[in-house]
Amino acid sequence: MKLSNLFLLSALLIISCTNSNQDKKNADSKSIQLKGSDTVLPLGQKAAEAFMKMHADVSITVVGGGSGTGITALMDGNTDIAMASRDLKGEEKLKFQEKQMNLEIKTIAVDALAVIIHPENKVEKLTREQLEKIFTGEITNWKDLGGDDAKIVVYSRENSSGTYEFFKEHVMSKKNYASSVLNMPATGAIVQSVSQTKGAIGYIGLAYMSPEVKAVHVSYDEGKTFVAPSIASAKDKSYPISRPLYYIYDVKKTEKVKSYIDYCLSAEGQKLVQDVGYIPLM
Amino acid sequence: MKRYLEYLIEWIIKGCGFISAFIVLMIVLFLFKEGISFLNSSPLEKNYGLFVSVNNPVRKLTDLQIKNIFDKKITNWSQLGWRNDSIRTIDINNIESIFTKEQLGTNYEYLSICINHYIDSIPGTLAFFSERLLSISSGTKEIEVDKISLWSFLSGEEWFPTAKPASIMGTLPLLLGTLIVSFFAILFALPLGLAASIYLAEIADERIRKILKPIIELLSGIPSVVYGFFGLVVIVPFLQRVFHLAVGETALAGSILLAIMALPTIITVSEDAIRTCPRAMKEASLALGASHWQTIWKVILPYASSGITAASILGIGRAIGETMAVLMVTGNAATIPHGLLQPVRTIPATIAAELGEAPYGGLHFKSLFALACMLFLITMLTNIIAERISAKRKLS
Amino acid sequence: MLAFPKNIDQIKMRNQRIMFWIARGISYSIIAILILILFFILKRGIGVINWEFFSTMPKEGMTKGGILPAIIGTLYLVAGSMIIAFPIGMLSGIYVNEYAREGQVKRFIKLMTNNLAGVPSIVFGLFGMALFVNQLNFGASILAGSLTLALLALPLIIRTTEESLKAVDNTFRHASYALGASKLYTIRKVVVPIAFPNIITGLILGIGRVSGETAPILFTVAAYFLPRLPNSVFDQCMALPYHLYVISTSGTDIETSRPIAYGTAVVLIAIVLFVNLLANFLRNYFSRKVKMK
Repeated sequence: MKLSNLFLLSALLIISCTNSNQDKKNADSKSIQLKGSDTVLPLGQKAAEAFMKMHADVSITVVGGGSGTGITALMDGNTDIAMASRDLKGEEKLKFQEKQMNLEIKTIAVDALAVIIHPENKVEKLTREQLEKIFTGEITNWKDLGGDDAKIVVYSRENSSGTYEFFKEHVMSKKNYASSVLNMPATGAIVQSVSQTKGAIGYIGLAYMSPEVKAVHVSYDEGKTFVAPSIASAKDKSYPISRPLYYIYDVKKTEKVKSYIDYCLSAEGQKLVQDVGYIPLM
Repeated sequence: MKRYLEYLIEWIIKGCGFISAFIVLMIVLFLFKEGISFLNSSPLEKNYGLFVSVNNPVRKLTDLQIKNIFDKKITNWSQLGWRNDSIRTIDINNIESIFTKEQLGTNYEYLSICINHYIDSIPGTLAFFSERLLSISSGTKEIEVDKISLWSFLSGEEWFPTAKPASIMGTLPLLLGTLIVSFFAILFALPLGLAASIYLAEIADERIRKILKPIIELLSGIPSVVYGFFGLVVIVPFLQRVFHLAVGETALAGSILLAIMALPTIITVSEDAIRTCPRAMKEASLALGASHWQTIWKVILPYASSGITAASILGIGRAIGETMAVLMVTGNAATIPHGLLQPVRTIPATIAAELGEAPYGGLHFKSLFALACMLFLITMLTNIIAERISAKRKLS
Repeated sequence: MLAFPKNIDQIKMRNQRIMFWIARGISYSIIAILILILFFILKRGIGVINWEFFSTMPKEGMTKGGILPAIIGTLYLVAGSMIIAFPIGMLSGIYVNEYAREGQVKRFIKLMTNNLAGVPSIVFGLFGMALFVNQLNFGASILAGSLTLALLALPLIIRTTEESLKAVDNTFRHASYALGASKLYTIRKVVVPIAFPNIITGLILGIGRVSGETAPILFTVAAYFLPRLPNSVFDQCMALPYHLYVISTSGTDIETSRPIAYGTAVVLIAIVLFVNLLANFLRNYFSRKVKMK
């Protein structure tokens, strides 16, 4: 009967699967795994691709999931390099201490955050204080900022993303977001939403900037100078809202990952950083 | 020999039945193990404490009060029931603006002395430090912080799991958001799906059915991310225009999208249920002079009701648990929804969006498992209710 | 009671016509909406589909090249989860419908499997992460992902098996018993063959569901980029739905990777279409065979 054939087939398949198990994980020394932040993901992938072109014997796997996932995997020894868009948190530092792991934290690129609004919005520039008030929910109407009489719709990244934390620390003087803020799962979704909502404001990595939205000029000195976000202004540090992106690894594994990280920090690697849309270190 | 083989096979069959039942128990075990352990822990970071002067009569602060203090919304002790004195917060981040490196020592070895001294001299101080760094002197006391209780977890109205120094974990907005979105989704989808399944099973020609059925089955295979993107680009701006809204990302957008997504499941399963109605019953009804429609309404649908209930359970299950699409169209603002035209945040969206970034094994991580437990209990409840309903109908 | 029969007939027929038109109208509008969505995707994605798209690795930061590893990964996951879920699910269905006696045990098992059907996919994801990835220490791997997806498909298969066994008329069973066949023999040679076309539907639905799920594999198996194909069940792999999710949400060059995202969606839909056609074909083939017997 068909039924028994089916079982035979599945049994065969299972056996063939287990057979292929045996040649598992042999060339471990030549394979590097990167895991972590979705912000760093495209950069890590591009660099890995270029690196493998030069070193045909190395294979690099890149896995996303978020900074927390990457750091946890590093703790458990499940990855060689953790990609992170935020600093280690207190509990994480403690856990690494307990495991007696010494970490090397390398900045590999810088990401600037642009504050974006709908292109038809008349407002051109905002101070840090105004941004703080908008995102904490103190200012809720554009007319208080010299715009039209319209409700401000605030878009933010998810409360666990590194970007969210960074913006909170560096723009909102660590105050919490208003709970009416709309949290979008991805930067692409913020661009989409801001481009189709007139009263919208949001923040995105400079790399995601698109002509469908308008970036505001930002001032960190109470309105004396306003700076537009650009690669040049982020590079010379005149644009205030920028953050480093990290590769974190165990010092013991330096030998294994060194050539890849050196490549990322080399002139060639930094050119890739610019291609992806982040700000190179030099 | 053959008998033993038969015996063995029968046992395997029984074993499989029990394994399937057992899986649910496993899920309960593993989710609840992680989820429950976070109840009764302090909302503060592990090993951290809040310290004030002994002269300060305030003994206890709630997590919300702490958040408001550090957000500068509460700035005076009189708001907390003490004298008129402004609150000064001090923590590891602003400590170097108060003391010099020399005063603190290279490894913060003098930090305890500095802080205790500071609290002594300025009684309005609220210090937030790790208990490892700070040993309390006689002039300082630690403030009690309410532990996270089941009640505060369920009834809290704010969700700030990453707030510092105390995380605020109230799941009421998430719970209501989930319920409102899925309830309306099923409200939209069930009548439509039922009508379509009746049409496909009873009314349509075999030829038309052969074309339509694969199309519908095909659509249950569209990945939810695609639906999500479709929703964001088409449904959200559409709602914005029709209802003149400031924001298009609303519960309604989520409901509509979920209804569309649940339709193929509901149609396929209830059509199959309708088809299982024995021919003899239909013919008996028609022979008694009932019209085709009366037969459908009075004979076929009651017969298929358990299957249709199953369809709606599957539909609800898909709606409540749907993650990616909802994540993209509902706006995810953790406020208590007052209507369909407001942004909401659902439980699955919260889990999917936050789990990747939450430190493993930490408070936030565990709270997400607790959310998963809640989600599990909700679906279990709907199942039991649905079961009861279909059981009752069979009896009457 | 004594109204004119003709009149009743007229009302009856009018009602029927109205109701039929409503049902027909609703059905066609649903189809229209669904086709609209399909068209929306096809229009944007069809341009990138060519042989190279299926057969090469992603290039230049996922903005060019193909999706071969994602296709292979999804095939592995589907095969892996079905190898686990189909036998167990089918046997469970047989147990529930044929063996379990009415009573507490049967009610318990039915309740449990029904509950399993309602468990949201993200919960499966969390469970898979807690049990397979962490507790059993499989790590993020094809094995962990397949097991998680198998749990997801299991209730679907149990339920369809059960429903299709229920639909087998009891006269077949009685006839078989009357000829002296044992219970197991009856099930094997009479009941299951008749119900098999419908049981296959469960398998197909399972494959359809498994191949499109993102949430359960998010934390159990999915990789963003692999330079080579996975060569054991302990490797991570790429998968179509995750690939689609991740290149349409993260990645800085959304505009240039969008065609690839839609192309991936088209491939996913094509897989589902193919699987469904296969199911229909098999269903017809088997039912013809059964009839011939």
